[in-house]
Amino acid sequence: VSPEPTEDLLSAYLDGELEPAERVAVEARLTASPEWRAVLEEIRAARAALRGAPAREAPPGFWDDVLHTGPGASRSVPATVRPARGRTPWLAAGAAAAAVLVAVAFVPKEQRVKPDVAAVSAQHGAQLSDAGDPIGALAQMARPVRFR
Amino acid sequence: MADGIPTWEEVAREHGRFLYNVAYRLAGNDDDAQDLVQEALLRVRGGLERYQPGSLRGWLARIVTNVFLDEVRRRRRRPTDALPDDPGRVLPPAPAADETPTSFSDEVQRALDSLPEEFRVPVVLCDVADLSYDQIAAATGAPIGTVRSRIHRGRRMMRAALVAQGVTGP
Repeated sequence: VSPEPTEDLLSAYLDGELEPAERVAVEARLTASPEWRAVLEEIRAARAALRGAPAREAPPGFWDDVLHTGPGASRSVPATVRPARGRTPWLAAGAAAAAVLVAVAFVPKEQRVKPDVAAVSAQHGAQLSDAGDPIGALAQMARPVRFR
Repeated sequence: MADGIPTWEEVAREHGRFLYNVAYRLAGNDDDAQDLVQEALLRVRGGLERYQPGSLRGWLARIVTNVFLDEVRRRRRRPTDALPDDPGRVLPPAPAADETPTSFSDEVQRALDSLPEEFRVPVVLCDVADLSYDQIAAATGAPIGTVRSRIHRGRRMMRAALVAQGVTGP
């Protein structure tokens, strides 16, 4: 006795991808089941929509570029490392990373800013009057800049 | 063409439209489709000596599918690069009534974009690349029963997405 056909055979039925025995079983089920017939019409419509949609053409000039320069030549980097369009270009991102590394390598460990902001801040803060001094208050907020 | 093996230029000239259409239906936009096609042609150029004369389109569809799936995996490792099938991705809204109406092709593509790639790939290979189920199984590495099931479920999801856009006819 053949097992009951499962519903996912309906697409294979439409595509002519069933064995003869499976096809007979599906057709028998379709005759008996309005639900199966409804599903068949659903997938028939989806299949027809995609098969009937016009083929997408490449933008003008795309194939001329590919044939003239070779595949991949008009791309900045291979797909395996290339970010999606509209994002930071790979080369720019690499240059930025290199700049950061250089900056970190050459930045002194200790602050060498003159005048000594911390000392000026402490001195000026000490001279701040009780009545309030807006500039002095700002100076109090100054803190030494530390580089990591 | 020597010994039935085409050059990559011949592949591009004679099958470029096919390759582009499959890439576009998988990726859902022209920018990514162009990148997929170029990467696929690079692999074609590098693999032509291993090509066994037979179904050239099946071979090309397999290559562009592999390029697409590689890119899907790469972007999954980099979550800032949204994928068409990201669960959190917000699909582009359907145009308002006073905007230029989208074509039927756009509606179909929007429905296709809503499918997770494990369903989108076999549906595209079946209904766009016109591959047999055996060819799709070979291209995706999935058993034939899985291919059947995914094509069927993918079509049902696609139909639901089309109906949600107001497309009720084929």
